[in-house]
Amino acid sequence: MQTTAWLVLGLPLAGSILIGLLHKQLKGKAAGYLGTAVLAGAFLCTILTLISLQDRTEEERQVVFVAWDYAKTVGVDAQLSILIDPLSLLMMGVVTGVSTLIHLYSIAYMVSDKGYNRFFAYLNFFVFSMLLLVMAANFLVLVIGWAFVGAASYLLISFWYRRKSATDAGIKAFVINVVGDIGLVLGTYFIFKHSGSLDFLTTFEGAEKSFGEHGNNDLTAGCLLLLVGAFAKSAQIPLHTWLPDAMEGPTPVSSLIHAATMVTAGVYLIARMHPLFELAPTAADVGAVIGAVTLLVAGTIGLVVTDLKRVIAYSTMSQIGYMVMGVSSGAYVAGLFHLMTHAFFKALLFMAAGSVIGAMAGQQNLDKMGGFRKAMPFTFGCFVIGGLALAGIPPFSGFFSKDEILLVIGEEGGWHWGLYVAGYVGAFLTAVYTWRMIFRAFFGEACPEAKELEGGHLHHAEVHTNPANGEVEDTDVGFPGSEHHIAERAPEMKVAMGVLAVLATIGGFLQIPKVTHILEDFLEPTFADSHVHHATSDGLLVLGLVLGAVLGLAGIAVAYRVWVQQPGTSAKVLERFKPLHTLFVNKWYFDELIGLVVVRPGAWIGRVARSSFERIFVNGTLVGGSTGVIKASSSAVRAVQTGLLRSYAALLLLGLTVVGLYFLLSA
Amino acid sequence: MTIHLSLLLWAPAALALVGAVLPGRAVGRALAGLGAFAALAYAIALVIDYESGGGLQYVTDEIWIRELGVHYKLGVDGLNLFLVLLTTILFTATTLWSLSEKTREREGQYWLHLGLGHSFVLGALMAQDLALFVVFFDLMLIPFFFLALGWGEGARAEKTAAIIKLVIYTLVGSLLMLTAAIALAVLSASQSGNDLSFAFTDLTQVTLTKGSQEWIFLCFAAAFLVKMPSFPFHGWMPDGYKVLPLPVLAVFSGILSKVAAYGFLRIVIPILPDAAVHFQTLMLLIALASILYGSVMAFTVTNARLILGYSSLAQLGFIVLGAFSLTEQGAQGAILQSVNHGLVVAPAFFLAGAAAVRCGGSEDIRDMGGIAFRAPILTTLFLIVAMANLAIPGSSNFVGEFLILLGVFDAKLAIACIAFTGVALAAVYTLRLFIRAMHNRVGQDVDSRDLSLHDAVVLVPLVLCILALALYPQLALEKGEETVKGSVAAARLVQDPPKTPPRTAGTTPVPVTPGGGQGVVIDPATGQPVDPSAGGGQGVVIDPATGQPVDPSAGGGQPVQIDPSTGQPVDPANPADPGVVIDPGTGEPVDPNAVDPNATGGTP
Repeated sequence: MQTTAWLVLGLPLAGSILIGLLHKQLKGKAAGYLGTAVLAGAFLCTILTLISLQDRTEEERQVVFVAWDYAKTVGVDAQLSILIDPLSLLMMGVVTGVSTLIHLYSIAYMVSDKGYNRFFAYLNFFVFSMLLLVMAANFLVLVIGWAFVGAASYLLISFWYRRKSATDAGIKAFVINVVGDIGLVLGTYFIFKHSGSLDFLTTFEGAEKSFGEHGNNDLTAGCLLLLVGAFAKSAQIPLHTWLPDAMEGPTPVSSLIHAATMVTAGVYLIARMHPLFELAPTAADVGAVIGAVTLLVAGTIGLVVTDLKRVIAYSTMSQIGYMVMGVSSGAYVAGLFHLMTHAFFKALLFMAAGSVIGAMAGQQNLDKMGGFRKAMPFTFGCFVIGGLALAGIPPFSGFFSKDEILLVIGEEGGWHWGLYVAGYVGAFLTAVYTWRMIFRAFFGEACPEAKELEGGHLHHAEVHTNPANGEVEDTDVGFPGSEHHIAERAPEMKVAMGVLAVLATIGGFLQIPKVTHILEDFLEPTFADSHVHHATSDGLLVLGLVLGAVLGLAGIAVAYRVWVQQPGTSAKVLERFKPLHTLFVNKWYFDELIGLVVVRPGAWIGRVARSSFERIFVNGTLVGGSTGVIKASSSAVRAVQTGLLRSYAALLLLGLTVVGLYFLLSA
Repeated sequence: MTIHLSLLLWAPAALALVGAVLPGRAVGRALAGLGAFAALAYAIALVIDYESGGGLQYVTDEIWIRELGVHYKLGVDGLNLFLVLLTTILFTATTLWSLSEKTREREGQYWLHLGLGHSFVLGALMAQDLALFVVFFDLMLIPFFFLALGWGEGARAEKTAAIIKLVIYTLVGSLLMLTAAIALAVLSASQSGNDLSFAFTDLTQVTLTKGSQEWIFLCFAAAFLVKMPSFPFHGWMPDGYKVLPLPVLAVFSGILSKVAAYGFLRIVIPILPDAAVHFQTLMLLIALASILYGSVMAFTVTNARLILGYSSLAQLGFIVLGAFSLTEQGAQGAILQSVNHGLVVAPAFFLAGAAAVRCGGSEDIRDMGGIAFRAPILTTLFLIVAMANLAIPGSSNFVGEFLILLGVFDAKLAIACIAFTGVALAAVYTLRLFIRAMHNRVGQDVDSRDLSLHDAVVLVPLVLCILALALYPQLALEKGEETVKGSVAAARLVQDPPKTPPRTAGTTPVPVTPGGGQGVVIDPATGQPVDPSAGGGQGVVIDPATGQPVDPSAGGGQPVQIDPSTGQPVDPANPADPGVVIDPGTGEPVDPNAVDPNATGGTP
């Protein structure tokens, strides 16, 4: 078990390094197959680890393996160690399984891109980082995985780095993720202060002893800071603005990182830290509320976005809102269940979207699409399955997992009813925006590209433009590749999508209410210490199931009426609700808000610093020049006379602040 | 293995001197390379041979100026071990990089200055005598003045102006430090009644009055903060960085600033613990201002060198922050971060140079861009260095920052929280530099070519060092741990005085009445005085290794002293020192006459 567990982690890393070192030698699809094979190996090792873990008794299903001491000094006990338990195994299975399929898809999808080998090296590195994150046995390794995942995400968002829009999106994602890392580290400090150990199991076992039976303020602060980390990574409000921009990356990246795996890390974190969150109910409540707000806000934006990939991105945000809401309310198994089914159907939707974008020669605008149903039957089929699962139509996987979350929340009662209602409103919105996307891309009059494809020829654009800003691409370097690929013509893509379509259909059967509880039993050893126990009432269960199915179907019906039966309706509705529409189209002005609160003051301080302190002290006016002090004093006088008043005011302010801080802190 | 630190210290200077005297360009180059590599090899041997946990090792102690009590005393312990290695690594890298540059005027002199600089920096790091430290600390700048003047960049007037500014700044600092050093030694001697001595081990024995400590502290702090530099004493930095030749700048920024940071942990905090506690908040605020100011400036300037310069300003702020958290974690982080930062900033300067060469010599990031496609290896190396510079978790820089901020978190929560802004800003300015240099559209005069062999010999080993330390930071942490604890112990004791008189061995020198048979001995294992009556009037000593009383008869009726670093009884038969006491903080024998009469520990 120890060997296979380390292999799960080691194989993707080895693959990444190997592809990197051999980037000149690997020709054609070799790097793609190598990368995929390595991940298939990792998936196999996950299964083997799973089998040997299940051989143990339930009490012994949390195992820690240590590689070496990492930073074991002056009271800090960080080792390079991994934790194998049902929770980490579930995540490992989802990560390696979905990654293998997405690598397989990418073999064909990325083949004309000149950055082919680089792509697979990055993608393998990402999987390694993600596995490090979910297998970490202590806070320090968790933070490392957390940050590596962010770095890999940055590299892949900026994959087409000749586009300024891509490098801008990359730095935005990276910096917001660093904010998350800081939250995580600071949260760790608060927890470490009392627990005295960075190790997960030690911290959890001693939680009641170190924090008291009802927790304490430091724990609440620590958990809230952990949530900052979770929100940044899982694109929850207000740290979500990077995710839509991250769609600058190639579509398989969106599918793997920004839908199936990395963005769910926040959910995993809360589930992993459940012994702490249960002692800090305030923090848990904040998580639940933010999740609910996010799922509604993202749902409304998803209704009006016209970029195909961004619709799915907002949908991802919204679905993760469900999961965060769930795990924060004690619905651990349900939240993780939704995480798993979401990975299946969302990865599938992104892959299908990639296929459509391929047929449009890189164009992502929904306004220009239409009528692809006949030209791309396989892609259409996959989109429908993914759409049904996402909208929560029985018996597709999303139906069971979403309802299970809401069921637990409903049972909490009290103000949780607000969350319950938000969840079902969100379910309706989900169905509408998902099927709006499907109807607009696949129904209606066929666009020229669709007609060309029906005639047997894949559209090929003469001039490549950046879908984000219409800028003409710098194609001399060969990426994005000049040729595109669609599922109908690439067996690798077809296999990957086919497998996911099956999983998206049947994945929900793991947990059918009253019938199966495979996942719950499997995860039991991890959550055995949880104090949250829910008594299920049959009435609420039936209500939830019926409500979910009805709202999903109603949403699809509305979408059908608005975008297929009477295509003019949406324009009329928009006219009536113009202010609301403006709010949604501008994404609730979050980017502008962050710019106003964070970016502009920062830039202002920089400008002031340069025009005052640097000019006076550094650029030779005061302490510079060859004439030294004499020149300095004369120029100081001159500076006053010529009216550098603003600089002085700033200096004075700075001085006062420093003095003030000094007295504040020393008091 | 016997290691002679003098050999390590003088090899680069001596070989460079020989090279300057002998005729022939090739000979000078060969000897310069040899000097750097010899020092590097010796330093590696030193690190391998060094036993973790012990005190000062490989001590060389000769009397230099008897009248003034100045010793030529060198030694290595956990504080300076890896800084010595870092110095030799960076000087070797600079020498290699300089060797591959084709034409250079007056090349012989260039190598001479580089070799002298190498030796002087090593001297400042290994000196265990304050006077010797001050001498090396001032000497080490002189070769750099000449390097800037003779081989620097920019117009002559500009160079002169920058260097004069640098001289004014450092001269003021140095004079203050000289005054402080003399005052420290004289006051210590007069207070304890001993002969004048500058040795650190002697100085730590005496606790000066609070008032004296405070003004001496301020003088030292001014000198060190100027040298680092730290906000608001960084006025010389932008101009100075612009005129230094790039390979020299790599080593200048990489290691000279660390000597100042090291000075805080070696001299200021252990010798002036009361003042360190008194000025803690002030120092933390200066460090915090450095972090924020450096970070903000680093993302507003467009010159690649200055970005790295201001980034160093911010990083050094973190190091000071760690040192003045006055916690073990903070100090440990500060030492680790000194090594990390040196290891990262040097290749960063080389890479910025490589990028500048590829865009027609401009160091402005607005002229760069788009190299990545044709230079994948260069870009990958740049990426690794950039990630380490922004202290991504998983790099050794992160471990350093983690420990520093953990220390500050315990000491002053608010400052730790504000300091974290610096972590986020580091991501902004470092990625901005990386993206502008390597990504985006191809700049106008950019000629993309990948790493040449001469870039690779310097950069690849440095990046491998970064990666190795990232995988196993424990290597550096383990060897430093004991010494670092000792360095902040006195200040911690001041800050948090124990209810009972301090008896904890390992933190305070153990006073012993020398020569008598009644000496009270503190058991290093328990920190309790050993009851002399238990041994029938004779001093009984508990062996810390076994916990068993040591047979007093073995010591001929005299108290047997146990060397806490080895657990072995010290040979009492040695007539020169009838009651040798080993200072557990340094592992040095303590002169029994130098015991502070005011010390509260243990009662005779």
